[in-house]
Amino acid sequence: MEQQRRKVYETTFILNATLDDAQIDQIIEKFRDFVTKQAGEMKVLEKWGRKRLSYPIQKKNNGFYVISEFTAPSDMISKLERYYALDENIMRFLTIQLSEKALKAREQQAKLIEKEESAELKPAVRTGAPGESELKATEGRK
Amino acid sequence: MMERSSRSQRPQRGGSRMQQRGNQRGNQRGGPQRGPQIRKKRSCRFCDHKDVYIDYKNEKKLQRFVSEQGRIIPKRITGTCSRHQRMLVQAIKRARHLALLPFVSEAVK
Repeated sequence: MEQQRRKVYETTFILNATLDDAQIDQIIEKFRDFVTKQAGEMKVLEKWGRKRLSYPIQKKNNGFYVISEFTAPSDMISKLERYYALDENIMRFLTIQLSEKALKAREQQAKLIEKEESAELKPAVRTGAPGESELKATEGRK
Repeated sequence: MMERSSRSQRPQRGGSRMQQRGNQRGNQRGGPQRGPQIRKKRSCRFCDHKDVYIDYKNEKKLQRFVSEQGRIIPKRITGTCSRHQRMLVQAIKRARHLALLPFVSEAVK
């Protein structure tokens, strides 16, 4: 029963970019601990890094983006959002539930992109003057 | 008699003759009500693949569907189908929340 109620979530949050890398790593580590403590299972934890914001948030023009994907019971999300709100270094956050359809579509899109990339590589070798170094490079990629 | 005189001076009514003229040298005078206009068919960019997920994190792709001021472009202009426009709008709004896209662009402010 408990297994069925678990859902896949994706969460993105923006950290204060004026912090040191060490401090940022510390916050991310804390977040990871929080998720695992609340019976969540971390799938992806990706640092996007510092980016310029499209509009200022809390009078800051830059932010450090972190993206994470995890499965968790649904009551964990309200706790997570409260945790976000209490942490002063987290400027913005967004948590969304990934539906099965979205997951499936995303997988297929990833496959398509891979296919396109491999398709683009092959004709490039044929049409472009086939220098030996180029050929070797593409072989190496395969 | 009436017809002849009007034709020689200024063809007003749309008929077979008007259409011939239109074919010969571009339909300059014809408004939208005169005969079927040939329009470039717009099609939904997302309908090429069966399953589509529009990711809010891909702001470069979303930017195509947002005007210079940062407004969402209506589907009658982009040609996106209703289903995908709904998904697109959700993605754009999510991207705005995360400051990936502007609510109002800098130039307007």
